[in-house]
Amino acid sequence: MPRLLLTAVLVLLVAQTLSGAAEGDSPSYQRHVTALFGKLGCNGGTCHGAVKGQNGFRLSMFGADPAGDHEQLTRESRTRRLSLIDPDVSLLLQKGTGKVPHGGGARFSVRSVEYKILRAWIAAGAVADDIAPSRLKQLTITPAGQVAQPGETYPLKVEAEFADDSVEDVTTFCVFESLDRAVATVDRAGVVTGVGVGDAGLIVRYRAQPAAARVLVPRPGSNAFPDVTPNNFVDAPVLAKLRRMNLPPAEICDDATFLRRVHLDVVGELPTTEEVRSFLADASSEKRAAKIEELVTRPGHADLWALKFCDLLKAADFGVYADALSKEHDAPRMQAWIRARLAENVPYDEFVERILLATSREGRTMEEYVAEVNSLFEGYAPGRPDLELYARRKTLDLFWQRRGSDGVKGTMQVAHAFLGLRMECAQCHRHPHDNWQQEDLLDFANLFMRVRTVGFSDKNEKQFPDAAAHFKKLNDEAKQLEADLKQRKEGEGKKLDDDSRKAKQDIDKLTTEIAKLEKAKGDESEIAKQRELLNAAKEVMAQAEKFRQETAAIDKRAKLLAEVARRLMQAECRLLPKGESARVTSTLGSRESKTFRLLGESEPVTVSDDRDPRELVMVWMRKPDNPYFARAIVNRVWAHYFGRGMIDPPDNLSAFNPATHPELLKELRDGFVTNKFDLRWLHRTILKSRTYQQSSTPAEGAAADRMNYAFFPLRRLPAEVLLDALNTATGTTENMDMKYHHWPETMSTVQAPFIPQNKFVAFVLETYGRPQRNAAVQCDCERDASGSIFQVLTLANHPRVWEKIKDPAGRASKLLKASGDAGRQIEELYLATVGRLPTELEREACTKFITSADSPENGLQNVLWCLINTREFLLQH
Amino acid sequence: MNRRDILRIGGLGLCGVGALDLIRAQAASSANNAKAKQMIVCWLGGGPPHLDMFDMKPETSEDYRGIFQPIDTKVPGLQVGELLPEMAKRADKYTVIRSVTTMNKPGDHAQAPLYWLTGNPRLTTGSDEYPMYGSVVHKLRPGPADLPTFVVLDEIDVHTHNALSRNFLGPAHSPFVMQPFKDKDAATKMLTPQLDLPAFARNADLLKTLDTRLRRNDTQDEVIAGLDQYQQTAFNLLRSPKLRQALDISKESAESVERFTRNKPAKARYPTGDPLHFLLARRLIEAGVPVVHFNLGYWDWHGENFTAGKQQIPMFDGCLAALLDDLDERGLLDSTIVLALGEMGRKPKIDRPKETGAGRDHWDYAQFVIAAGGGFNRGCIVGATDKLGEQVIDKFYKIESFGRTLYHLLGIDADTLVHTPANRPVKLIVEDAPIIKEAIS
Repeated sequence: MPRLLLTAVLVLLVAQTLSGAAEGDSPSYQRHVTALFGKLGCNGGTCHGAVKGQNGFRLSMFGADPAGDHEQLTRESRTRRLSLIDPDVSLLLQKGTGKVPHGGGARFSVRSVEYKILRAWIAAGAVADDIAPSRLKQLTITPAGQVAQPGETYPLKVEAEFADDSVEDVTTFCVFESLDRAVATVDRAGVVTGVGVGDAGLIVRYRAQPAAARVLVPRPGSNAFPDVTPNNFVDAPVLAKLRRMNLPPAEICDDATFLRRVHLDVVGELPTTEEVRSFLADASSEKRAAKIEELVTRPGHADLWALKFCDLLKAADFGVYADALSKEHDAPRMQAWIRARLAENVPYDEFVERILLATSREGRTMEEYVAEVNSLFEGYAPGRPDLELYARRKTLDLFWQRRGSDGVKGTMQVAHAFLGLRMECAQCHRHPHDNWQQEDLLDFANLFMRVRTVGFSDKNEKQFPDAAAHFKKLNDEAKQLEADLKQRKEGEGKKLDDDSRKAKQDIDKLTTEIAKLEKAKGDESEIAKQRELLNAAKEVMAQAEKFRQETAAIDKRAKLLAEVARRLMQAECRLLPKGESARVTSTLGSRESKTFRLLGESEPVTVSDDRDPRELVMVWMRKPDNPYFARAIVNRVWAHYFGRGMIDPPDNLSAFNPATHPELLKELRDGFVTNKFDLRWLHRTILKSRTYQQSSTPAEGAAADRMNYAFFPLRRLPAEVLLDALNTATGTTENMDMKYHHWPETMSTVQAPFIPQNKFVAFVLETYGRPQRNAAVQCDCERDASGSIFQVLTLANHPRVWEKIKDPAGRASKLLKASGDAGRQIEELYLATVGRLPTELEREACTKFITSADSPENGLQNVLWCLINTREFLLQH
Repeated sequence: MNRRDILRIGGLGLCGVGALDLIRAQAASSANNAKAKQMIVCWLGGGPPHLDMFDMKPETSEDYRGIFQPIDTKVPGLQVGELLPEMAKRADKYTVIRSVTTMNKPGDHAQAPLYWLTGNPRLTTGSDEYPMYGSVVHKLRPGPADLPTFVVLDEIDVHTHNALSRNFLGPAHSPFVMQPFKDKDAATKMLTPQLDLPAFARNADLLKTLDTRLRRNDTQDEVIAGLDQYQQTAFNLLRSPKLRQALDISKESAESVERFTRNKPAKARYPTGDPLHFLLARRLIEAGVPVVHFNLGYWDWHGENFTAGKQQIPMFDGCLAALLDDLDERGLLDSTIVLALGEMGRKPKIDRPKETGAGRDHWDYAQFVIAAGGGFNRGCIVGATDKLGEQVIDKFYKIESFGRTLYHLLGIDADTLVHTPANRPVKLIVEDAPIIKEAIS
């Protein structure tokens, strides 16, 4: 439709709306005026919706409180803001049109529809009509899906059905947004213009209610769509959409690329050179499926997903001295527990249940629990036997022992981690791009309020007498030991110290004496006598040493008992008989709720006193029609393999953020539920798909695609995987320098429970964006995936990287020693770094480089340097 | 605006900010009218004693005023401690601010530095990780491509670590932390080529030949385009002699170096810091590095305040004076902010005044800031404390005002919106506050 004509049609439409309003009555405050405040941006957070308002005029943020806003408009400084007698001099209109200087500039013109509507409302007395008949029943947007060519335009029409069953065209009162302006734009009037190839969600908001439509801009031309065979059900919807978009899918990637890809994605490691050679040599047509099967059951798969879940569950944010919780003790335990469940492939719903419903005692007696805590502390020793012990626990009480895991904040973490929802904004106000209100969050939070707040409080002893009895007993025991210790140190210990000091001097003296006598060939009996004395002195020393060790053991035991006591008194995860009401306080005021309600449900739930309210959450999550729980993990796993979720960002499940492939997401989700929440089924299904096994090189004409999987998207390796790959490629290792905390000698970076002392490792992890796992940040994006100059400099020029390349025991040196054949050496380096054989051209270039180098050694090392600095090494492709 | 920004504007997770706001904010942060192009921060961690340095109270009793006498300066009405003779002679070059303080919100050594260095009440845990000024400059107004934009000299200590090394703009905007005087410093080595330039060129050539696999996507793919750009910038940085030359202080004459080192105490009660960092900072500024930060020793003088003063203040005096001289002579002072400050002042009432170990405890209700250059007034005093030097009684400003003043001079709109990891838009300085107009011209 030509633009001019379209505009004319629109004007006509608007005129109709207006005349409708004029015909009936004046515009409605609830249906029209409040909607305009949102549309014009008046009630945004940086404008009059701010806490203090703006320039003396305050509206509720995003129109959460229409009645209050009306009062602000009419009662406060009545004469100026709205002039009923002479509407045109109302400040609302004068400022809005910029006639009177307005911080927000001119928002509409005198001739605009907005002006006419606002003016008509003021002229009719600026009345606030009753909200009840204007409550929204349904918002319909047409067309809901449309194909548009670049440059083509079409209007969106939005109809609202209200509580009184009236239906009204509210297009004029809606805010329109395109989720991808590179694909299509939409203007204030709701006219969509196709821009570039792709598909974009279009979000319409009427008051606070969203509706979504999609626009598809196919690639121009009518090329024949290649005949490709789907591998499994994942591929059909992907291919169908590509066909609609006229985007040819990429070819299947070659075997070497596939092998490297699945290794990095499934176990977080590069394949070994032998693995590459044998996979390439394998003629079986089923070898990819077999490899997938092998990798998902490897320990490395559990390691990699333990890393991901530890990110998500903030497995490092542990307490303070007073709780006897610490990152050093507890982050590795939490990791070990998660890892164990993943290695067992526990169904995901059970996995979450065992986290969500965790208690420290798990129904055991206090004595049994005390014994467990005691063993855990004792296990904080070389080899860390406590890790296995903790991993055997049924539930992960550490989840509830992290900082900020309780109350409303903790509820937000649960919503984020298990439901893929961002509730951060709802703490204070309605989010303009989400449906959540404060009351949704608070009602949901009430289901978690019976979980006791972990941390020191002087009320704890009174509140938990059962724990207090043990607390006292253990502390008494510790005190007794301290007293014994003091006595030992002052009594026998002091004497032994004196004796041993003297003995030490004697030993020195006697040793010299004996040496002198022996040299001078002195009297044998004299020498023997001296020797006897020497032995006696040594015996005294040994006794003193034994005594000191015993003392140290008692000392350790006393400290340990005190820690055990603190831990069970201050940090036991347990349920209170009754929770407080969920409450938030922000700059916008305080709010409290006494209702128990699940997210998105309209009806409250009742909770009997003898049940853990968290069970209701679990039951709700498990329901086949739960809109978040299974969908969130399916989408997150998908995002792991493709760099973006079908809903992206993957932690933003929202009506305002529609999926690119809703039917596929549903199928995968349903399959996952039918397969009893089997994560490995999910991994396998995605990995076996053609979509996953596509080449990263786009087919002719499809390079512009970004979210339809026309080819495999590139992404940078995550920090830990990258460092492990660097170690493998160079044939070196990094000592984490964590012996003090009893980390094992060898450990991959993926396995590291937190950032270690090793400065190089710490530097790489920070530079490549390992998240802090800070409970204050509720976002999957806490892991930074972006690039930087530092990253280039690290691989290209960090002294430690050069040391690795030149390491005499490293890969390049070993290859030189093993064979004099430069061709063979180059081949091995290629296999070890980029997981494939070099092309003829590459082989030649490298050979030439090595021949002209100062020495073969120098040549080969610099070839290795080049390879680890290629994008092929750095990226998943 | 890149694609990602467009996507963001397009709708995901903007709490209450329209696309217009964002565009407006971006337009506002152009650097053309910036008075200050560069900045040096000399951080006096621990909190230097204001009553012994730039806020003398000779009228108070001995257990407040201590043992140091005030001396006159080139600026009428401004007296400084007797250990600051060089700064006294150059009082016409800088502004003394006596009325900005954290008011203990948030206080202490862990949090107050974060507040001062970001302009926002950033906490060690549980708050947004607001970025340090240098990181913001790096994001919005990066310097020459062949130099790092934000350099921190010497190791970041535990108290400034949070402010300097992590922020929500992401690791790409963290400072280059280097200790160029240490032979084994990995960061310095990383910034200077480990190969001679011809060898580096040969490697870069081979890399170009080998790194063709994913080329086909180049023009389209954002990831590849970004990597290309970073690699080019990084390699330029390695090839450029600018940074190497700036770090090579052997180019400096012996007399010049001596001006900085002459007052370095042979023995000191507290860490003194390295006087040559002043010189290095000047050389980096000359080369064109936009922001240089260094920590100068430790000033948390609970014990032996006056011994420490005798040891550390003369070195600070000579060095800062020489730095101001050098910048001024080179015509760089007018475009370079030079700051010397710590996170708090020290308690006016002396602890154990009669004893040799007499110290001054924490005081975060009054302190001093030395601000020179880049648009800060020459020869100026802003604000005043009460008779005892305990409370600000004139022209009180919050840290937000100080931060906003810095951004104002740097030509960056402090209301520019940046995003937290959860994609919530926040202003560079969250709270609105007036700039310190008395301090700037």
